[in-house]
This record gives sequence, C-alpha cells and structure tokens, in this order.
Amino acid sequence: MRKYILIAIVFFLAILSACASGNPDKKGTENAANGASKGEPKDGGEVFIPIVGDPIFNPWHPNAYAESNIVNRIIFQGLTKPGLDNLPSPSLAEEWSTSEDGLIWTFKLKQGVKWHDGEEFTAKDVAFTFNELVLDASLGSNGASNYKALDSVAVVDPYTVEFRLNRPFASLPAYLAFNSEILPAHKFEDVENPWELTSFNKEAPIGTGPFKFEKAISGQSVKVTRFDDFHNGKAHLDAVTFKILPDVNTQIAQALSNELDIFVLEDKSSLERVKSAENINLVSSDITRYFWIALDLENPKFQDVKVRQAMLHAIDRQAIIDSVLGGYGNIANAAITPDQEKFYKQDVTSYAYNPEKAKALLEEAGWKDSDGDGILDKNGEKFSFTFDIALQGDLESIAVLVQQYLKEAGFDVKLNTLEWNAMIQKNVIDRDFEMILNWWSYPSDPDVLAQYHSSNAQSGNNIPGYKSDTLDALLEKGQAVSDPDERAVVYNEIQEYMSENLPYLYLWYPQELSIRNKRLQDVPDIHFGGSLHYINEWWIQN
Amino acid sequence: MLQFAIKRLGQSIVLILIVTMITFFLMNLAPGGPSSMMRMDATEEERAAISEQLGLDDPIPIRYGKWLIDAMQGDLGLSLSSGQEVTDRILERFPFTLQLTMWTIVLSIIFGVLFGIISATNRNTWKDHTINFGSVIGLSVPSFWLAIMMILLFSVQLKWLPSSGVGEGSLLDQFKASIMPVVILSTATLPTIVRFTRSSMLEVITQNYIRTSRAKGIKERTVIYSHALRNALIPVISIIGVLIPRLLSGAVIVESVFGWPGMGRLIVEAAQSRDYNLVMGVTVIVTVLVVVCNFIVDIIYSKVDPRVKNMG
Repeated sequence: MRKYILIAIVFFLAILSACASGNPDKKGTENAANGASKGEPKDGGEVFIPIVGDPIFNPWHPNAYAESNIVNRIIFQGLTKPGLDNLPSPSLAEEWSTSEDGLIWTFKLKQGVKWHDGEEFTAKDVAFTFNELVLDASLGSNGASNYKALDSVAVVDPYTVEFRLNRPFASLPAYLAFNSEILPAHKFEDVENPWELTSFNKEAPIGTGPFKFEKAISGQSVKVTRFDDFHNGKAHLDAVTFKILPDVNTQIAQALSNELDIFVLEDKSSLERVKSAENINLVSSDITRYFWIALDLENPKFQDVKVRQAMLHAIDRQAIIDSVLGGYGNIANAAITPDQEKFYKQDVTSYAYNPEKAKALLEEAGWKDSDGDGILDKNGEKFSFTFDIALQGDLESIAVLVQQYLKEAGFDVKLNTLEWNAMIQKNVIDRDFEMILNWWSYPSDPDVLAQYHSSNAQSGNNIPGYKSDTLDALLEKGQAVSDPDERAVVYNEIQEYMSENLPYLYLWYPQELSIRNKRLQDVPDIHFGGSLHYINEWWIQN
Repeated sequence: MLQFAIKRLGQSIVLILIVTMITFFLMNLAPGGPSSMMRMDATEEERAAISEQLGLDDPIPIRYGKWLIDAMQGDLGLSLSSGQEVTDRILERFPFTLQLTMWTIVLSIIFGVLFGIISATNRNTWKDHTINFGSVIGLSVPSFWLAIMMILLFSVQLKWLPSSGVGEGSLLDQFKASIMPVVILSTATLPTIVRFTRSSMLEVITQNYIRTSRAKGIKERTVIYSHALRNALIPVISIIGVLIPRLLSGAVIVESVFGWPGMGRLIVEAAQSRDYNLVMGVTVIVTVLVVVCNFIVDIIYSKVDPRVKNMG
C-alpha cells in the first residue's frame, strides 16, 4: 500500500509542478535586445543546441535538411555569408565584381585559410565544389537548381575564381551565402559517388569553419570543438554540442533546466511557460519566408482575379496570426519579405478582412448564393473544391480556420489531410490539387523567379501555374540588373503587380521566435540560422 | 526435438519471405518517394537524377528480386537517406534498444508476477483492488504525458536524473539515464503481466491438485510458489514472448521524448523518408527476432510443462 501512496504523491507532485510552470508569473520579460554585450568576451565553455535528426556533413547532399544546415553552417563556410544587414558580406571570398554584361563574376579569395586538416584552401576547392558536385546534373545536388545560370567555375589563380554564367544573375552573391558551403577537393579525389562517401559525409568532415568536427553518435549528439587556426577570429567557445532531440516538449524542458542554450521555438503552445522562465530570453526576428495559398489556375473557377481577391477579403489573416502564431507574424501582400529592407515595399494593394467586400467581388464575378443553401453558385454550378493540407507543424490548425472563413463566404470547402511525402507527390509532382496552403523560404534576395515564371508552371516551383508575360518580363529584368538601387525599383514594381493580381494568395510573413539562454552573449539580433554565421563571436557569461 | 526445430525453421523462412514481400510492395506503392526526391523546391531534373541514382527506375518486382538476392547474401544495401550500410545503421541503434528491453522485461517480470500472485491470492481484498486500479492507470495514462511529467519533476525541478540521452561516461550515469525510459516502458508492460499472472493463477489455485497439496499439509507458501506458480506461468511466458519482440522493435514515443537512440525512431524516420532499404532491413531483423523469440518461448514451454513436448 505504501508504494501506491508514494506513487500517488509523485503523480500529484508532477501535476502540481506542471501547473506551476504553466502559470506565467510575469517575471521574465520578452527581451529583444539580447545581443548587447555584458563586458569583455570570456573564452571557454560549451553551448548546447538541439537538432531533430542525424545530420549529414555535406551541404550539397540531397538528404541534407534543416538539421544538417545548422551543423554545416559552423563546420563549413561559403564564399559569402549574410551580413547583419541581410546583404551578402565576405566570408571565404574577400571581394567580388561583375563584368559589364553581367556574365562573369570574379571572386578574390582570402589567403591563408586552412582546412581543419591543415591543408590550404584555394581556388581549386571552389572549382571542385561547383564543377564536380553542383553542376553535375546526374548527382541531383541539393540546391543545384539555384545555380541554373552557372555554366562553370574557372580557376584564374590560386586565389581568384571566375563564375561564368549563361545569363545575368544578380543574386549570385546572395545565393552563395545560402547553404552553398565549399568542400575540400582533396577529400573527394577519385570518389565515384560523393553521396556514398560516408567517411566524410557521416564520420569525419573537414571544413574551414570556426569549429571542427569531434564526434557524432547516431541518434544522440554531434560535438564540434574550436578550430584554433580559424581565419576570421578564433571562437570564444570551446565546443558546441548538437543534441538530437526530436520532441519539442523535451527541448523546452531542457531549455528551462539550462541544458539547451539556443533554438527556434516552432510550437507556440508552450509560449507562456517559456515567457515566465527567468533563464531565457525570447528573441523574435524576421525571416525570409512567407505563407501562401495556391489555387489551381488551370481551373476556370479560380482564374478570375476577383474570386481570388474575394477569398483574401474573406479570410481574417490577423486573427489567424494572433491565435495560431501567437501574434508573431505580419500580413503579407506579396512575395518579398520585410527582412529585405532594401527591396520590401509595404505600400501595395492590401486586402483587409471584409466579408461584405468579398461578397460584392464574388457577385461581380457572377458567383452568388441563388438557391439559399449557403453555397455560392454560377450557372447551376456550385463553388465547391477540395483543400489539400500536409500534416506538418501548424499547417492543419491554420487550414481549419481558413476553411471556416471560406465557408462563411459561401465556398464549399472539403479539407483533405495528407502526410508530407504524399502531399509532395500529389500536389507538387503530379500537380493534382484545387487548393493548397504552404510556405516558401528562400535566400535573402528578392529573386523569386523560380516560383513565378511561366516556364516553371507545369513542373517547376510555380505551383499554382500562374502565367503572365508582364510578370515574366519583370522577373527577368530583376535578374539582369545588378545595381541594388535599380533592382529595388524593379522589385517594387513586382510587388505591386503581385498584390494586385495574386498569383498566390499571400497570407503572412511569419516571425521566427528563438529561445536563448541568458548566459549567451553577443549573439547578433537576427534569426537563429543567420546568427550561426557569427558563432565565433558568441561567448558565455558565468 | 530436432524434427520440431527443422519444421519450425522451414515455416520461419516462408514467413520471412512473405513478410518482406508484402512490406516491399506496400512501401513502394505508398504515395511519395525518398525524401531527397520530395523536397518542395526540387526540380523535375533533380528528382529524375536522384531516382536514377537510387535505382528506382526499374519496376517494383525486379527491384524486389534484386533486393532479395542481395539480402540472401547478407547485403541489406545502402540507406537511401544517409548512404551508410543499412546493417551499420541498425547495429548502431540496436544495443540501446536491447538495453531498454532487457531492463523493462526484468522489471516487469519481477514486479508483474509478484503483484499478480498477491492479487490472485488476496482476491477481492483491498490489495487486489489497489493492484487492479494501478494496472488500469498504468495502461491508460499516455506515456508521452507521463514522460514529460517525470522530466519536469525529476530533471527540471529536482535535478536528479538527466532528461535525455543514454548517459555518457560512467556506469552510474548510464544507469541514471535509463531509469525514466525503463519506468515509462514498464508502466505499459507491467500491467499486462500482472493481469495474465492473476487470471491464470486464479484458474490454477482452484484445481484439484492444489487442494490436495493443501490437504497434505504443505505450507501455503510452497503450494503457491512451487506448485501453483509453475503451471500458472505458462500463459505468462507466452505473453512475454509477445512483449519482447514488440519492445525490441523500439518504442517511438519514449525514444523521442527521452532522446534515446533506439530502433523505434529509426523505423519511423525510415518510413517517413521512404528509405526503402532501411525499412526492409529493419523488417527483416524484426521478423527474425519475432520468430526466434517464439521459438525460444516454445522451448521454455516444454521445459516448464513437459506435456507440451510432443505437441510441436
């Protein structure tokens, strides 16, 4: 009996403690100014970061996903990296310039850069990475499609490379900063299939980054330690350990008990508990991501722009942001995200929540509820369609709300949930859908041609299948001009066009919310992924 | 006995063949494909290149044939998602699952049989009711909730136990790291054993030979533990035979919450990312384990109850 009393007490305590930690006591404040330094940086210490799966230490591997990107960003380096102003800044390349016709970009490489095994980094490595991996179509490298404009990389001298293009590509320096790290040519000599070189990709990667690989234990952790010969200022931290923790509740519990230092809070349901913790700063930041609804534009029902505008007027996006996203997001009206200050245009056509206006627009388009059954019709046809949604993160809870708003406006919407992998097959590859909801993330550069150009309408990333000569011409112009001010003019025009014509229904620009332990200092106030490029500046306050 | 073993071996081989065939076809016919082909922003050309590289362009029956020929030579192929040997990926994880399984089974058998006996010999008393109530709670409380509650109590509040991982370094660390996962896993297996022990014990102690033993004046303790228990354990052994392979194939939820690198997470990740080779590898291993466990259970059966011997 005693045993059971004990168990009962333990249960009771467990419930109590859960209630206690769920109750916000308002002591912790949301602090966005975490980057402010508290005195002189101190050397030493270890930082713990969660990832959700075993990483692959090769940024170009077709299976290198988010968890790999996080780790690879501090082991390897690209020619450029995103600056604190979100524009490309020097990393392995010191400076770059473009020829007058925009077809040749010359990058001057930094001298005296060492690989973790002591070999010297030279132009040969850059040429290898692009010519042998990225441009080899049979390999299907992750992100190779970003470099469609690239013909080859030529070695001019050991510290100079030329990127030779088949068309102007103003975004090249920005794309080089985005998961485009350089690999050591000497490790891949005579390798037939680089994706099967597990001695590198899984067991012992060599990079030029501030931390070098120490050990990886499958399903558990990856440890990297400071690389003392790092060319851009030795890191303050001794080591970084990535803990493989797929469960978000465990991640939060470990953040509360100081076992994890920094990560992105994807699931907002624990927001209150985290806010009340005294050891944690919450940092919100803009990211290059937007959520959208894609309608099948081959379907005549969705071809009338008034119908698309009416749908946006019918959805209370702010209410969804406030409830599902915990308020961390801004209404989107086009594809260029606000973090790209140079290019973002706020003053474009916007669609406030207004059911009356939605109704009026639909009537103009010929749709009204003539038989009083609550569903719009036109020439005897009901406005009914299926809304496919992938089971991933918040998508389903968002979709349920969207469905509700559309129903109120008279659309007969059936929700169909799919597993992610099956969704890609059905909606993206087979193009079999009427309406879907998802998001795009892209490098910090306004070039969104891939998702909008009519040449990508059937099989590429232009999922709704939008075709417009006007938009095509603008997107091509945006790639051709390299002067940032001139580009800004083009992309402002593109945003105006998008907001009026709605190739996608724009929903919102989500904000990233990251958890940072208060002992962490000098982490720049940018999104988590970007801050990793500056990990050599981080330090720990005891 | 030898004849029995040969017959069982033949049956097992057919069983394994059927299981692999069904799994292979189901896996390959499921919508989607290997995750590397299923990135949202992958282009048609990238997908085609990867499909060719992974040898997915052949028809499914031909691919099954190729897989089977390799598998019979002990080559389970390369994992489609990491490029590592499937065998290596399984061997990395298996010891950790074995560790959890072993402790869970030991804990469940000791306490399960003990509580089962107490419950049966004290039928309809407060002891019986308490144990029954505890079993129902154990079976019905969701393990992820209990796990998070334990982490909040023992790791966050009291800081006694690590909240994740298998414990690095000393044996004590490893022991501490496995306490919570083992307790959580046991809350699901222990009640099953308690209930089986209780019901078969109740059946046995009403039989004539037990009454005879008591009439002979044998001590109650001896009657229960050496006469009754031996027969009451037979159904319990068969349920343990079912529990062991289930535990060996991993416990996804417990492994995810405690960051435990076991087989469960491996299987789920493999299925989600359509890593066909890995799914097949795991299927073969788990099927073999089930077959072996059943075989061992049958042998133990015949030791415990000689009547079973001739029933092959």
